[in-house]
Formats: sequence, C-alpha cells, structure tokens
Amino acid sequence: MLVPLSWLGDYVTVKATPEEIARRLAISSLDVERILDVGVRDLDGNIGRFLVGRVLEVEAHPNADRLRVCQVDVGEGDARQIVCGAWNFEAGATVAVALPGAYLPILDAPLDERELRGQASRGMILAEDEVGLGDDHAGIMLLEDGLEPGRPLVDVLPIRDRVLDATPTVNRVDQLSMVGIAREVAALLDGELHIPEVEDPAVVDEEPVDIRIEDLERCPRYIGRVFRDVTVAPSPQWLRARLHLADIRSISNVVDVTNYVMHVWGSPLHAFDRSKLAEGRIVVRRAQPGEKVRTLDGVNRKLEQEDLVIADAERAVALAAIMGGEETEVTEETTEVLLEAANFEPLGILASSERHALRTAGSNRWEKGVDAYLAEPAAKLASRLLVDLAGARMTGSTDVHGELPERRVVHLRPERASKVIGLEIPPDEQRKTLEGFGFEVSPEWDVTVPTWRARDVTREVDLVEEVARPVLDRVPLTMPRRRHVQGRLSPSQRLRRLTEDVLVGAGLSEAYTWSLAASDPSFEAIRLPDPMTADQAVLRTTLLPGLVSALQTGIDVGADARGLFEIARVYLPSDEQLPEERWRLAAIVAGGYAAAKGVLEALHDALKLELRVERDTHALLHPGKTAKMEAGVLGELHPTLLEGTWGGFEIDLETLFSQVPERSVYEDVITYPAVNQDIAVAVDEDVEVGALVDAAREAGGPLLREARVFDVYRGEQVGEGRKSVAIHLAFQSPERTLTDEEAADLRGVIVEALASSFGAELRA
Amino acid sequence: MQSEEIDLGTVAAVDAQEVESEALSAVAAAGTVDEIERVRVEYLGRKSPLKLALREVRDRETGMTLNALRERIETTIDAREEELRRAELDRRLIEERVDVTIPGEDVRRGHLHLITQIRREFEDIFLGLGYTVVDGREVETTRYNFDALNFPEGHPSRSPLQTLFLDEETVLRTETSPSQIRTMEAQEPPVYIVSLGRVYRRDTPDATHTPTFHQAEGLAVDEGITLGDLLGTLDYLCKALFGESRKTDFRIHHFPFTEPSVEAYVSCHVCDGSGCPVCRHSGWIEVGGSGVVDPNLFEFVGYDPEKYTGFAFGWGLERIAVLRHGIPDLRELWRNDPRLLGQF
Repeated sequence: MLVPLSWLGDYVTVKATPEEIARRLAISSLDVERILDVGVRDLDGNIGRFLVGRVLEVEAHPNADRLRVCQVDVGEGDARQIVCGAWNFEAGATVAVALPGAYLPILDAPLDERELRGQASRGMILAEDEVGLGDDHAGIMLLEDGLEPGRPLVDVLPIRDRVLDATPTVNRVDQLSMVGIAREVAALLDGELHIPEVEDPAVVDEEPVDIRIEDLERCPRYIGRVFRDVTVAPSPQWLRARLHLADIRSISNVVDVTNYVMHVWGSPLHAFDRSKLAEGRIVVRRAQPGEKVRTLDGVNRKLEQEDLVIADAERAVALAAIMGGEETEVTEETTEVLLEAANFEPLGILASSERHALRTAGSNRWEKGVDAYLAEPAAKLASRLLVDLAGARMTGSTDVHGELPERRVVHLRPERASKVIGLEIPPDEQRKTLEGFGFEVSPEWDVTVPTWRARDVTREVDLVEEVARPVLDRVPLTMPRRRHVQGRLSPSQRLRRLTEDVLVGAGLSEAYTWSLAASDPSFEAIRLPDPMTADQAVLRTTLLPGLVSALQTGIDVGADARGLFEIARVYLPSDEQLPEERWRLAAIVAGGYAAAKGVLEALHDALKLELRVERDTHALLHPGKTAKMEAGVLGELHPTLLEGTWGGFEIDLETLFSQVPERSVYEDVITYPAVNQDIAVAVDEDVEVGALVDAAREAGGPLLREARVFDVYRGEQVGEGRKSVAIHLAFQSPERTLTDEEAADLRGVIVEALASSFGAELRA
Repeated sequence: MQSEEIDLGTVAAVDAQEVESEALSAVAAAGTVDEIERVRVEYLGRKSPLKLALREVRDRETGMTLNALRERIETTIDAREEELRRAELDRRLIEERVDVTIPGEDVRRGHLHLITQIRREFEDIFLGLGYTVVDGREVETTRYNFDALNFPEGHPSRSPLQTLFLDEETVLRTETSPSQIRTMEAQEPPVYIVSLGRVYRRDTPDATHTPTFHQAEGLAVDEGITLGDLLGTLDYLCKALFGESRKTDFRIHHFPFTEPSVEAYVSCHVCDGSGCPVCRHSGWIEVGGSGVVDPNLFEFVGYDPEKYTGFAFGWGLERIAVLRHGIPDLRELWRNDPRLLGQF
C-alpha cells in the first residue's frame, strides 16, 4: 500500500515529519518498508519555480511546424513567451509552468531561458511525466479552469511528495486504506482526523435497481447504483496524479473513481456498463456447472460451483470480488453505469482467488475480511465523484443486505493490561488510546469495537494489544523471574553433541542433506501426494544415500574430501497417523572398511562402549565388507557408488545411546603391573579374528584384562588358506602382582582353547 | 696419559704440584664433554694415581694435602664441564633452527555444519537462562501444526500452496511451534523451553529460500510473565548473538499464536545503524517474530490463562547465518561443498 502524504493530509492533520510518522506507524501499526521521495526536488526554492499559468495567446511558430509560441500569464503582470510542442490546448487553457532555473526530475541541469528556432522561450509548459505525476507525454497537463495564474503549482498538484511504502499485517485490512492509516496516524501522533464526508448526490428521475443476492452468506451486502449520461473520459489531473503516486494505473474517469475510492476507504468497487447487463439486472450467485466468464485480463475462466459470480439476467459477468468481465467493461462508449459497492465473505474469495491463481487489489482486501459497513461511505464518495467528474446523473440506488453484524462489546480490565504488558499504563491513557483507534469505552470499561476491527478484536487480550501498541517502545526490558527452573541438555542431547565432536575430531565434516528424496530404498517410505519437485518426493528412511550425493559434490569440486557425517531424522512408516521419527547418524569415511570401522570404534570408545559386529549384507555396501551391529550397519561403500574407496556406517542413535553406561567406575590398573604376553596363532582363512578374541577372553577369565589383535599375516610360512593372527594379551589383577608362572599358565589355557575351537597352531 | 700399571711404590710419593699442573692443563685441553669426562676418570677415577695415593695415605697431613688437591681438581673439572655442556647446547640449538613458517603436521579435523554451530550457540544461551531444549517432531498433525496454534480457517499457511501435506490431516511442520503445544500438554507450568529443528515450506529455492530450513523456538509460561519479559529476553538474545553493543527495536506485528505480537529488530552489526546493504540502509535488521502467548493456546492445553501468561518467539537459524556470516545464498548450506563447510 503506497500512501502519498499529500493525499493522507486530506484526512489527518498532524505535526510530525514523514520520518516520525513512518517510525510511529512501524512501531505500533504496520510495516513501513521505506519512504519514497517523488516529484521535483525540494531545494533552493525549486518548488517555487512551478506555477499555475493561463495561456493567453497561442500562435504558430514561424520557423517550426511542430512548435507553437504561447503567451502565458503566470501572475507576473507581463505574460511570458513559452515555446511549446504540445497541441492539446488552446488559448484560455490553465496549465502548469516551470520557470527558468527550475530543476525537473527528468533533467540533469536547471531549465534555462533559450531560443527555440529563433523564438525566446522563458519557461516550460509541463506534461505529467516531466514532474513525476504520470507516464503520459502525449500532451501537456490541463488543469481545472478557474485556478488563479501565478498560484504555486504545489497547491494544486503533488509535484513534490513523500510516499510511505507500507504493508499492513493480514489482520489489519482496515489499514489497506487511506482513512485507516489516517486514523492510526491521528491516534499515535495526537493529530486531528478528518473523515471524508461527502454529500450523496440526489437521485434524479428515479428508476428501480434490480439487485438480487442468492447467497447472502458469501455476499452479505450489495449496494447498486445506476448512473446515466455518463461521459467516459480521462480523469482530471489531480486524480491522475494521486493514482500515479499510489501506483494505480489511470484508465478512465469511471474506472479511476472506483480505484480511488477503494484506496480511500478500503472497500473495493466495480463499475459495469449497465447497457450490457441483460435486463439491467445484477444477480449474485454461485457459478453454474460449466459456466464461463472472460475476465478483464482477457482470460476465459471456467467456473466452478464454489465460485461466486456477479451475473445479469442471463450469464455470469464477473468473478465476484476478484475481477470484472470483459463483456460488461466500461468503455469510451459507455453512458450507463451500474456501480457495485458490495461486501464479500473472505474465505470463499480466497479459495476462488487461489483456484484461478488470480490476485487483484480487490481480492487482496476481500480475502482479509472487509467491513460491510464501509460499502456505504464508499458508494457515496464514488457516486459524488461520478457525478462531478463524469457528468453523470444518479438515477437509482438500492442497498440489499442480510443482517449486518452488531458491534461487539468486550470488557477490559485496565490493571490486567498493565500487568500483561509489564508497564503501568494509567487507565485514562488506556481509554484515550482506545478511543483514538475508534473504540468506544464505557465508564465501566465495556469497550465497543468499531466495525472495521470486528474480525480482529474479539477478546480482552486483543484490547490489551491495542493498549500496548502505542507504548511498545516504552515497555521496560525485563527478564522472567524463572523460579523453579533449571536448564540442561537431556542425556541423549548431550550424547548427540559428543558424537558430533568425536566425528569432527576424527576428520569428518558435518553435512546437511534434505529429508525429502527422489526415492528411498524402502518401498514403504512415505510419499508426498503432491511434492514440489520429483527430487523431493519421499520422506527418507535412511541417511546414507543422501550422504553419498553430498560426498559426490566434494569429489566433483575436487576438494580433498576426508569424509562426511550427518545426524538427522528418518521417518519410518507406522500404524499411527504419524510416522516414527528416529535420530540417525550416518558417515562416509575415506579409505574403506577399516577406516570407517576405526571411526566407529573411536565413537564407541568415547561413549564407553565396545563395538561388536557380525557379517551382514546391505544394498549400498560391498558384499564382502559389510557388518551389522545392534544399532546399525557398517561397511565399505559399494564400489559402484563413488570413485575411490570409502567406508560408511549408519546408526540408530537412540539404540546406541541406550547402551551407554550411566557412569564409569574406577578400576585399579595402576597398583599392580600387568604382565604382557603376545601370541601368534595360525588358523584357517575363514576363522574371524573376532571369534578368536572372544574365545581367548572366555578362556582367560577375569585376569585377562586385554586381548587385542594387532597383526594378521599371510605367507608361505603360514601355508595356503591359512593366516597368522597376532594377539596382544595383558594379564592383570587388581589385588596382587601376577607371577610369570601364573601368566604363562593363563596363556597356555588360551592357546589350548584356540587350538581346540579353531585348530589354531601356536607360532610364537 | 698414565699407564694402567702403576708402581704402587711411587704413589704415596705422588707429587701434588705436578699432578695438579698436569690435571689443570688436561682440563684446559679438553674440548668436549666426552673429553672432560675422560680427564675426570684419569685424575679422579678409582684407578687414578691420586685416588690410589689417597687410599694408601697414612698420615693426616699428606691426607689433607691430597684431599685439598682432589677438591681443587674436581671443582675445576666441574666448572669446565658445565662450560662445555653449555657450549654444546648452544651449538645444538643453533644447528636445530628450522623455518618456522613451514606448515605443521597434518591433523585430520572436520567441521561442524554452520547451522549446527549456531544451533548450539542458541541452545547454550538459553541453557544458561534456565531453559531446557526440546526435540520436537517434524511430521505433524494439522491439529498441532495449525488448530492448536490458533491458525484461523483460510490462513494462507493452511493451503497446500504453502505447506507440504502428507494427507489432509498430516503435514511437514511449517514451524517449530507444535513442540510448544506438545510440551505444554505434557507438563504443568512453569515452562521454559527452546526447540530447534527443521521446518518445511513450499518455497521455491532461491538465494533467500530453501524449502527446508531451521527454526529456533522459545516458550516461557509462568505466573506473571509480561510483554516486557519477552522484550528483555530478546534483547539479551540479540546481544548474545550479535554483540553487546547492539541495540534492539520492537515493532507490533501479527501472528496467530501470539497476542500482542512483536517483531524484533537489531541494530545493524555491519554499519552500526548508519545504513548499509546488509540492513537495506535502514540501520535495523529484522530477526524474528514473537509475542505474548495467545490464551487460545492455553485453552487448548488446559492451562488457566488468568493464572499464567507466557511468551514465545521463533527465529530462523539460516537468517542468523546470513546476517552474521555473510552467507550469500541459502542453497549453499545444503550443497555440502567442503570448501564452504571448512570455512566455519
């Protein structure tokens, strides 16, 4: 919503700079994006060089066919000679004149006196685009007759203005109007509000207006007025200028009036060429099956029954509240106009607007819920302007409506307001605030809500907001008392952080990949019925595929990728309405199975866990290098996935964390030294070293503190199909120093156990 | 040098003066620590003439003389040794000089994603204030995502044009706020929580939008919570994230779940409020929405709105990343380019 301050000044008198107005509105009412500077510059008396002039004489230029020489009275006594290239005026016209020295927004240097083809020209007769009041350059601006020559042009036209670029929040459709914003400004800056009041034109030669509302729920009100003898023409310069500053395209006087009044009151209007309405009738109804309408944007729209239309006696002529139809459009030939000042219910309009992907200045207001009472002042102002500007006679007026909403009364406890806001606001100040915004406050604090706030203010807390708005920048900054609270991470949140830190320490970087994927290995994965793109169609049940793509990015850019990990949710289908969401960890590590396992072991170590795996298979992993554990899967990435050798794992974190011991308890490994013994045994190739270690532990009993494989060797000495496994053994007692004999005995037991279970031969 | 075979007969008659002058010249001649050690063995060792003579000595006077001699030689050797050690150390230190600008040995260290870093920072700020961290769920019912949060019928967010639906009653959460409702349903006040995580909207990806992004949500419900408490908390948050010297500004706004609703602005940390491209020349940067919890939410969860009041706020973590770290395009945060990840 663009708010030219010169225009706003019609409705509010206030002692404040544009910046102060913008700041107050921004704090208390609506977002003010910026203040635009438009028109001619306001420096060194520049504005004083723009005057109203009257053309006294117009003569042909002796040396140029396209130019004319004018004598123009600008109130100086003597007329000025000005050479002009426009032809849309004659002697007697009232025009806008820039004197030499004036800076025009379209010129870099000031206007100078000069000769044009041998004729002195001491000024310039202005077209609207030369002072930022429009785009038209076909002719000069013609001002209304009777303006006194020499009068400052700025009194007549906003040749210099500041324009607020403001965006109200969705609940404040009342601020999509000049009157609404004027009311805020008056209340917030102690200004004086002047609600525009016009005299309704008299109805002459009265005729009936045939308005029928078939769906009062969706169209609670329809004021229809008929005008005859309408002269469709360009709008007067002041109207064109105002619309231009508000970024509304000027079309013709009749259409401009409807747009102008919408901007003033916030209640959109429409004008039909009544002669094109079958039987001159308006019917507000749902669209019929298969019905179509060609809207003003030239699109043939197929209507649905949910669409509300304006129809005549025969067919739909407009998509109600959204856009008029081409067939009944007001054109230069139009002489009979039916003016619509109605009210429409928001949700139906919003649905139609979305269905037809058509948003207009009108639908933008209706979909937020416009006050039904505004139809009346809007109709009045528009009627007045049609009579004044288009020479029309109003010949009929009807107001069809259902029961219009009564004004709501809400009780306010001023002390409650102060308490919630955290600032003591005297009741008198609260009352004054509310009254400024248009509320009526009884002595008992029963507050009557103005009709234009009916949807927005329904409860005491809504009134508290009204009271808070103007004082927001006075509210003291405090902190809650926070008794009985204590802040800490949950155990699993702490462990997630630890996990991240361990993986970062192991050289991996954290990736973020999308929860939605093009596909998922699980057939049961939840599919969006209407995805944005094919890439983001399925809620993933696994993280690894996304991580593979992420790593590919690193490979593509040639970076030294050492590996990535991600901690994120997966979404597992369940029997409930909502899927089961679980925290997963996935990682990909440069260097293959052992590299990934090393990282996973480091993580287990940090969590005080021992990693135990058994052989498994997995679609993304190398069939010979895949293992599983209770919490997930570990392996070497299948060689077809990525260039190079990569290991990876994917772990369910809740499962993993559930195994983490609550605390570690001291074990005496210091007082009595350990006895270290290394053994090497030869076993068949298919014996897994994990099984050897398990057997050694079993045989070694509690005095075997450590059993760790540190080398696996294959070679001639070991023999075909066999391997030598070197195991480090450490024996230790927390109670005494073990003798060499005890250690040797235990070692013997272990070797024997390995021999009997696996046919292991002791090599050293 | 003395031969191994010492004539025991001559020992007692060792010539103290001669031994001393010999020893002192040997000390002076020693050029390394090893050499001085050999001198020590030669003149003071178990088999040195002096030691042997001392062992044989019988009269007190000779003993005192020889002991004094031994002490003198020893002192001289010690001093010389110290001198030589120092010289050797000095030489070594000079020889071992390296080019200190040579890079260190490669240590593998990864990086937390920038959003995780910001997430932790945000969590820590509020942990310090006594809040707990809640992990909300991402797939939500429309009841929790919209109804409970007081979204009116016809609110644009309820439209499939803005929200990703799984079915008519199930959506990918559009904000972290449903976790407020679930938390309040599960416990009585006081409630002080933050909830951070992924949210989903039907936004076409561009430099400032990704269809998935991260929100940080805060909720405080207690007796006597005020709008001022909200503003004070946000002021603290802004200073913690953007610097102690930042100023805050609050402007009225509208959200379904809060009344009154407020949008927070922080003075631009780049230009300090004088105007620059980061703050679009306004001096202020919008950082997040907030407000006093709408009593309708309390009604939904069964809290007494007369007894309790609360505030809530929601920030975008990506926005903090953009403002504070100058990320030019949000999509980059999802590309996982190691060259970007490694910067943070």
